[in-house]
Amino acid sequence: MAIERCFSHCTDKDKEHSENHLKEHARKRDNLMSLVSFVSIQKNTISSIKQAIMESLDLIEYSFKKEIKNVVIKPNMCYYWDYSTGQTTDPRFVALVIEILREKISPNVEISIVESDASAMKCKYAFKFLAYEKIAKQHNIKLVNLSEEEAEPVKAKVRNQNFSVTVPQIIKNADLRINIPKIKHISFCKISCALKNMFGCNPHPQKFKYHSKLSETIVALNKAMPFDLCILDGITVSGPPVSKLGLVMASQDPVAIDTAAAIIAGVNPKSVEHIVLGEKEDLGRTSFIAKGMNPNYFKRRYPQKTLTDKATTLGYRLVRVFGLEKRLMLK
Amino acid sequence: MGKIHARNCSKLQSANLIAVADISKKALKLVKKMGVTQTFTDYHQLIKQPNIDAVLISLPTHLHAPCAISAAEEGKHVFLEKPLARNPEEGKKIISAARKNNVRLMVGYPLRFSSTLRHLKNKLDSGVLGDIQTAHAFHIGSGPFYHRIEHAIPRPVPEWWLKKELTGGALLDLGSHMINLTRWYFGEINDIKAFLGHRFNFDFEDHAICVANFTSGTTATINLGWFSQKDAIGIELFGTVTHESGYHMRPRKIITAIQLLLGRTPGFSEVYLKEVSHFIRCIKENLQPSPSGDDALKDLETIARAYKNEIRLHRSNKYGNTKH
Repeated sequence: MAIERCFSHCTDKDKEHSENHLKEHARKRDNLMSLVSFVSIQKNTISSIKQAIMESLDLIEYSFKKEIKNVVIKPNMCYYWDYSTGQTTDPRFVALVIEILREKISPNVEISIVESDASAMKCKYAFKFLAYEKIAKQHNIKLVNLSEEEAEPVKAKVRNQNFSVTVPQIIKNADLRINIPKIKHISFCKISCALKNMFGCNPHPQKFKYHSKLSETIVALNKAMPFDLCILDGITVSGPPVSKLGLVMASQDPVAIDTAAAIIAGVNPKSVEHIVLGEKEDLGRTSFIAKGMNPNYFKRRYPQKTLTDKATTLGYRLVRVFGLEKRLMLK
Repeated sequence: MGKIHARNCSKLQSANLIAVADISKKALKLVKKMGVTQTFTDYHQLIKQPNIDAVLISLPTHLHAPCAISAAEEGKHVFLEKPLARNPEEGKKIISAARKNNVRLMVGYPLRFSSTLRHLKNKLDSGVLGDIQTAHAFHIGSGPFYHRIEHAIPRPVPEWWLKKELTGGALLDLGSHMINLTRWYFGEINDIKAFLGHRFNFDFEDHAICVANFTSGTTATINLGWFSQKDAIGIELFGTVTHESGYHMRPRKIITAIQLLLGRTPGFSEVYLKEVSHFIRCIKENLQPSPSGDDALKDLETIARAYKNEIRLHRSNKYGNTKH
């Protein structure tokens, strides 16, 4: 049975228990807050994962418009790491989303999986190694390297500063854009999920150049090319330690899904700069209505860093602070 | 590998590292800091230098033959990283060039210099394990890919790693280590078959399991792979008297960090230092180095047989798991 929980900052007045007041509160809340669904995958089988994805979409009351002609899917690809490490989207998950799109929209809907070259990752190899070439063959979809696509500059204002974002035509012209992120702890931005996954839509390969203004860049990218739907693949999470979490989340609001992901991963969303900035810049809301399972169920199961992991993290941080990477042969 | 060898060679008492060739200017800058006086961006220039007695070649596999042959023809003794070459034909040309020019040829198999694995070999030879009926050798790691180490930013994989005609596959890359090690332990191989796996959809195998039968009567499985973020290198021997195993372990990160900060040779690169020291001693004392070119050629011939005798299994068609 679906459970609905409100993750917001309600005033005492709003909490009065008169029926009318509750109804009024619900109406206000539904207008102000985004829906985020939380579904547990019962078994690690294709049919269970598909069922969970469909349920997650039903819970946020998402319906695909029949007139959609072309869809862009942005999975998370990070270097050439295998999906079993929790670092990249499970290709089975993407294949199932494609199946659902074909069933719900039309068997002929044009689908493209997009990614761009990065400092250490070449798209042509990532598509091959991470099984997307297989998916493309089996499901008759396109694999698009955004670094080789036509694009145009779009201005996005963040913190009253103008950012010029290169928007690939394929994303601009898509009728439906789907983001399939992962939850990851990342040292330089605390948490990576839907908002950060858009980094891969930036066609410039030298992405580390943007790390000095990371939050602004993330928000600018999301403003310049807003995606319509986020479906989170939480089958495996990177931790550390890597764990099978069996979670599917869906939302139309990238800020809300990132907030939920942060809560599950044990990170205070208010301490994540790009989430806070995303809300300020109207990309979405940090208050959300949780549909489906209780997020705390997943929070309890989310892997906790061991003392060794914490010590290792601290060690690497010290190595960086003291500039010892070269001497320790890490660079 | 080149960086590790340069670091080690710069510390040797028995020889001087005087010249380095590398297409990377960054690498040349680094070796200049180590005291190297002559640097080149083209190895042809380096091997023509009259003041050089021996060269250490740490290049992608497809460049082993042209570079080693040129060096031998210039009268330089050659230490060549494993595998000897991409195939036995190329390997034979290297050996023939070394013989013709009367230079020493040694192939870098660091596991032969691991104290743990040498100790295990001594036990095996002493007979305390009885006859080794079966054995399991393994070399698992991440191959050309970066491990997911927190805070370490991965670097691009050089293109040559990803091309079959330039690099071979995991069986050639890692198999050469383990086939050499098992041949050292159990003698020549009578028969070998290999299962080749394609988790990452390369045009060549990223993991392999070989079953080999040796003249000594031992049957061994050799498990190789580029698929894991954690390294595992070792061998388990199952004898008629008792069992024993030996692992070539990477020392703990903290110990390695301390050793590096103190300017000492870290545990994991000690084997490389030992093999180069052995090579130099062989040149000075006019000895035949081991593992020799002929030894490494036998490994290449065995690998070629394993590729030929591929075991085909029915495999599921899951994403990211199999080729077929």
